[in-house]
Order: sequence, then structure tokens, then C-alpha cells
Amino acid sequence: MDQRKIEGSLRGYLILLLLVVLSWGIFKILTPHNFGSFNNMLSYFQASLIASVGAVGFYFVMVMGMFDFSIGANIMLSAIVGCVFATKLGLGYAGLIIGALLCGCLVGLFNGSFYVKLHIPSMIVTTGLALIYEAVANYIAGGVEQTLSADLRMFGQMPGDIILALVAFIVAYVFLNYTKIGTYTYAIGSNEFVAKNMGINVNKYKVLAFILSGGFLGIMAVLTISYGSSMVAVTGMASMSRNFIPTMGCFFGVAFKKYGIPLQAIIIGEFIINIIFFGFIALGAPTAIQDVITGFALLIIITVTTKINKGEIVK
Amino acid sequence: MIQEGTMSEVRLEVKNLCKSFGITKAVKNVSFNINKGEVHALIGENGSGKSTLTNMLTGIYSIDSGIFVLDGEEIHPKNQVDANNHGVSIIVQELGTLSGLTVAENIFLGHEERFVKCGIKNTKQMIKEANELLHSYGFDRIKAQRMIDDYNFEDRKLVEIVKATYFDPKIVVIDETTTALSQEGRNELYKVMDKIREKGNTIIFISHDLQEILDRSDTITILRDGVYIDTVKSKDVSEEDLKRLMVGREVTGDYYRSDYGSKVSDEVVLSAKDVSVPGLLNKLDFELHKGEILGFGGLSESGMHEVGKAIFGASYDRTGSVKLSDGTEINDIPTAIQHSIAYTSKDRDNESVVLNQSIMDNICLPSLDELADKRHMLSDKKLRDFADKFAKDMSVKMVNVDQFVSDLSGGNKQKVVLARWIGKDSDIVVLDSPTRGIDIKVKQDIYQLMDRMRKSGKSIIMISEELMELIGMCDRIIIMKDGMINGQIERSETLDENNLITMMV
Repeated sequence: MDQRKIEGSLRGYLILLLLVVLSWGIFKILTPHNFGSFNNMLSYFQASLIASVGAVGFYFVMVMGMFDFSIGANIMLSAIVGCVFATKLGLGYAGLIIGALLCGCLVGLFNGSFYVKLHIPSMIVTTGLALIYEAVANYIAGGVEQTLSADLRMFGQMPGDIILALVAFIVAYVFLNYTKIGTYTYAIGSNEFVAKNMGINVNKYKVLAFILSGGFLGIMAVLTISYGSSMVAVTGMASMSRNFIPTMGCFFGVAFKKYGIPLQAIIIGEFIINIIFFGFIALGAPTAIQDVITGFALLIIITVTTKINKGEIVK
Repeated sequence: MIQEGTMSEVRLEVKNLCKSFGITKAVKNVSFNINKGEVHALIGENGSGKSTLTNMLTGIYSIDSGIFVLDGEEIHPKNQVDANNHGVSIIVQELGTLSGLTVAENIFLGHEERFVKCGIKNTKQMIKEANELLHSYGFDRIKAQRMIDDYNFEDRKLVEIVKATYFDPKIVVIDETTTALSQEGRNELYKVMDKIREKGNTIIFISHDLQEILDRSDTITILRDGVYIDTVKSKDVSEEDLKRLMVGREVTGDYYRSDYGSKVSDEVVLSAKDVSVPGLLNKLDFELHKGEILGFGGLSESGMHEVGKAIFGASYDRTGSVKLSDGTEINDIPTAIQHSIAYTSKDRDNESVVLNQSIMDNICLPSLDELADKRHMLSDKKLRDFADKFAKDMSVKMVNVDQFVSDLSGGNKQKVVLARWIGKDSDIVVLDSPTRGIDIKVKQDIYQLMDRMRKSGKSIIMISEELMELIGMCDRIIIMKDGMINGQIERSETLDENNLITMMV
């Protein structure tokens, strides 16, 4: 690694560290007694790992210039399928992980295939499909809340959650840096036409990106249901609320891509988001105020950290 | 050196090749042969089918009918990598590297297989091999592990040269690449061309610089309106012969301006004072007079291309002042356009044309205020007539003004850009590399247009890496070096390239 790259990633880490300290410091001053102890921070970090796993997968889709509005529906459906496999089919942990992972990948395959075949924007395709996934989840759950029994909740606590998340991060890192998929992800995101002329099967890699993303969202579903112990199949696009946190983490990744640490930025970014969330909870601020301030805080963070070159076009 | 005998062996047979885009027939039943170990130039006016033909050979376009036979074997490349696998590669006219990837990833893009074991890419080995390649080409300043975005246009072109030639292809297509390079860059490319030729491989060389074609090629094939015209030996023809073959008649009339000693008006229309752009320009002072063509020359990185942007209000962090005769300060693009300043960028595809819009939209874009009625409504007929008039004035080769600009050849895109500003009737026109990638006939049209504009009192700033056109067209030439003015020369019959080169280096 050359000097410039080291300087770049160091700078990126320093900015992220500064943001962690800043967000922690503000809430620590405002509410010193019930926020920000070492144990508190550890639990915020643990909670942030869940969304980080989904976000690192979604990063492949976002870098290619596509979007996915079915993230929440995928998490919900995969969690319910995993839970059904684990409990109703009696497959235990294997059922939980394989069920959720396969379901996530399948949803990704549908997203990618429909997007490629229909030739319409990914945002529209995934919004339409999210409605279908919600309905399918509701059908599988039979309108009943699906609960994961206590003996199957190893991934909802330490060290199970950390181990599973760590494995997911390593897999994402390898895919991005040590496989053709990673190179082609950036190539397609940079110029699809040139990438096509280089013999890259653009459509295949777009579908692959959605499948990868789906797989990571499946693992996120395992962590989610293990942490929360149950999942309700909501309809009418209510699953959209689950899109927000992984997407915001992914924005951190895109913003810190130029420092060469996108995945690390996603993990630390999700941690920052959680510090802000838990900070507001500690303050006892009304939800509406929390949302307004969180929204603004995140916009400011991304604006400040995304140092756009003068004249660079942002869309 | 390549043996004469090798040069007579056929490497590529082009047989009855045809290609259409909608109702436009770009290549019509073209057949000719290209030999081993030769630099085979392909010339013709813009839209004559040169790039379309080579794009079919390199898999960028599909073939409608006809075949390519390479070393006796019929080939049908599906894409560039497939063409590479058949031993054919291309260095394209515009930028062909991808942002977001390292130099090494760009060089081996599409050929990663040999670095991949069990699905895992050996990045270290890839970087090592890319650095060795860069070293072997003498491009040590470019580091394989760095992001391609860290390098400028010219260095990225050098990376493309490595990418297209490192695997000893049988045929390398160099499509109008030299005009994008400074003299140093061109020399690097010529060295690579010599090496390819010495190995007995073939170069298909496309350029609008006829002198360069005569100096660098062994054989020349001429295309006109998509039709094969002739193949000649470079040593047997002159520049005039080539012009006649390309255009289909004698190219008569003046090429450059023929007047000398005519006095330029004393009236200053624009003055730049202490103009600086961090890292690019340093305290520039100059004045532009009414009816004057003021040239800016220098090496590619001398800062001359930034001058145009600085005057047009398009530079970032510019300091100093650019003032019109009425005292108006030009600090942003809307003010510049409002006060009748026009600008055409060197980077045509990214900064001048809107590729995925029609010719009509592109020509009308800055004139919409004038074309709108009192209620601010736009009439389609009015827009169409306006675009049609100026596109025809510039002889844009098109089906109609609804055609997308992305379908046009490089030269025709430039004509659209010029038509836009002629339509706007701007008083001060800043032209950065106006004839880059433009054929001889259109070059002449542009020079004559500039001369007419000058005579009608319009003022022109012409930025160019082509020294001959600066000498031929300008009343005054400013030579830039390291972001500063290094000298100034008045128009004179005795002026030659050496006078300028001494100031440039």
C-alpha cells in the first residue's frame, strides 16, 4: 500500500473517530448519568452490528448505482422464514440461518432479475416487489407474530451476534477486495458502457449484487429476530421503516469510499447512528423531535464527511 | 526492423462490411486488406465510417453484414475482451479508463482470470505485474496501486496504451488518440507504435492530422460517406492528394487566414488582470481586442486549457478579475453567457454536449430565453427551425435534428457545439481545441467561420495544442508555461513552429 493510500485511510478513520467522540460527548454532557458508560457503549455497538451486516451487503447494490426499497420487507420475510424453519420445521440453528439466508438471496434474485428483465429503475421494481414480499411474509406467518424460542436466540447476545456479524464482514471484505465481483462492482458503477465493452456481463453482475445484498440482509434478519425474539409480518409498506438504518449506514460507506475504507465506515457509521438514537432515548425526547434532529444530524455528518471535489456533479 | 516480405502478407481481410444506425448507413459494403507489420492509416471526413469500422473489428459494435478475416480465420468479436482474445485491441478517442478502480485493475479489467485462484483475486500479484508493465513502457511515474482518478487525462491515456498493447496483439487500433495528447504524450505513443511494428504486428491508425498520417503510416485507406475509396502507399501521395481523395474534389480556397499586417482594433473588449486558479494559473494579465483572434498555446499541462474556463467563469477558486469593456465583471457562467461570451471545452463529451439529448436540444439550450414567447412558452416548430438552420449552416451529418448527439461522430458533435454558439450570436467566443478530431474539410469550414466572425467584429480566443493552426489563424499568440505567460508573438508570415516551441519548453 502506498503512502498516499495510508494517509487517506488514516484520515478517514480519524474523521470517523472524531464523529464517534463528538456524538458521544454531546449526549454525555446533556445526560451524564444514563448515557454513554462503557457498558452502554458496548450495547449500542452490539445493536449497531445488526444493521451494519445488512448495510455492507446493500453497499454492492448502491455502488453500482442502483437502489433497493425492499430492504425492510426482505428482512421481515427472511426472519419469518428462518423462524419457521427453525421452530415449526424443527431445524434449529441450521434452519434459522439457512432459511433466512436462502430467503434473502431468493429475494435478491427476484429483485435483480425483475430489474434486469423489465428495464425499469431499480427503485420502482423494488418498491413494487416489497409489497409482494410483505404479503408473502404475512401469508407464511398466518397473520400471527412469529417468536423465536429462547433456546434459539444465541445470535441475539454476545458473543454469538459478534461472531456472526464478524463472519459477515469478513465475507463482504473478501468479496469487495479479493474477487472479480468487487472490481466489477466499481467498474459498473463508474461507467456501465465501458464495463460492457470490457466483456463484463453487466446484467449478470447486477443480479449478483442484488443476490449478495439479499444474502447479507438474510443474516441481518437472523440477528434482528434473535435480538428482538419475534417478528410481526406487517403490510401496506410498513416494512419501509426498516430501510432507514441500513441505508444510512450505506451512505457512510459511499461517503468514505474515497478513503479506501467503505466497509469500516459502514460499521462505525451505524455505531454513530445508534449513539444518536440511544442518546435521544436517554434524554427522553419525544419521537417526533428525535426524528427531526436525527435526520438533520445525519445530513450534516454526510455533508461534512463527503468532501466533493469542486465542480463534481452530485446526483 | 520489420522485413519487406512480412509486410506483404495479409493480416486482416475486410470483406463486404456493412453497418447501419437506424436509417443512417454508416459503412457500405467496404472491402480491403491490411498487411502484417504495417501502420495502416484509415482516413476520411467525420462520419466517413472509420470509427464505426474499427468499432466493429473490436467488438464495440455488432456487424450487420460482411466479415473480418484475421490471419485466415473469420472472427466475430462480441466485445473488447473477446477482440483482445482474438489479438485485436483499441485505444479509443475519448477516455477509456474507469474511475473508482486502481491503475492495475484498469489495465487488467476483463482479464482478471489469471490472478484468480478459487475465486480469490491475488491483488498483490496484479499490482506487481502492472508495475512491471508500466516500468517496461517507461511510465514509472504511474503507480499501479494508485487509483486511476489520481491521474490526469494524459496519464490515463498512457495507461490505456499499456492496457491495449501489453499482450502483444496482432492488431492495435489507435483511434484519433494523438490529438488528445501533448507532444510528449504523442512521442510516447509513437515509440510504442514503432515497437509494435518492429514485432511484425499491425497498427490501424486513425488521425485527422494528414501530415502525421504521411509521417507515421505505410499504407493509407480512404473512406468517404461509409464507402471504400482507395488504398495508397504513403510514400506515393502528398497531403493534397489525400485531401482530394477524402473530400471527392479539390479542396480549394484558403485553409488558414491569408492576410498579414492588418491592424487589429485598439478597442479592448475583455481584459484579464491577475487571474489565478490554484495550481493551474498564476497571475495572468492580457487583453482581447475587438475583431481579434488571440491564441493560447503551450504544453498540455501548461495551464492554457484553464484560461478558457477562467474567462467563462467556470474555474473554481479563481481570483483576479475578468472584465468586459462596459465594466461588467465575469465571475460565473450565467453572467458570461448573458454578456455574449461563448465557450467550447476540449472535453467535448463531458463538458460541451449533452450526449443523451437531441441535436435540437443541444443547439437550443443556451438560446431558450430568446426562443420563448412573451408567456415564456416554447414552440416546437420554432426550436426545430432554429436548430435546423444552424445545424445545416455547420453541415452536421444527421438524419434530422431529433437524432441523439450520442449517435454522432466526434467531429459532428463538435459541429453541434459550434452551431449552438453561432445560433447564440456571441460576441466573444472562447474555443478550446476547436478542431480536435475534426476532418480536413470541416477544419477549413471552422477556420473560415472564425475568419468571418473576426471580420464582423467578433473576438475569439483560440486555445490549441496544434501550433500550425495557432500560427495560421491568430493575430497574436500567448505561450503558456507552468500556469504563467511565457511569451507573446504577433502574427507574421515568417513565424514557424520553432518560434513557439522555444517558448513552450
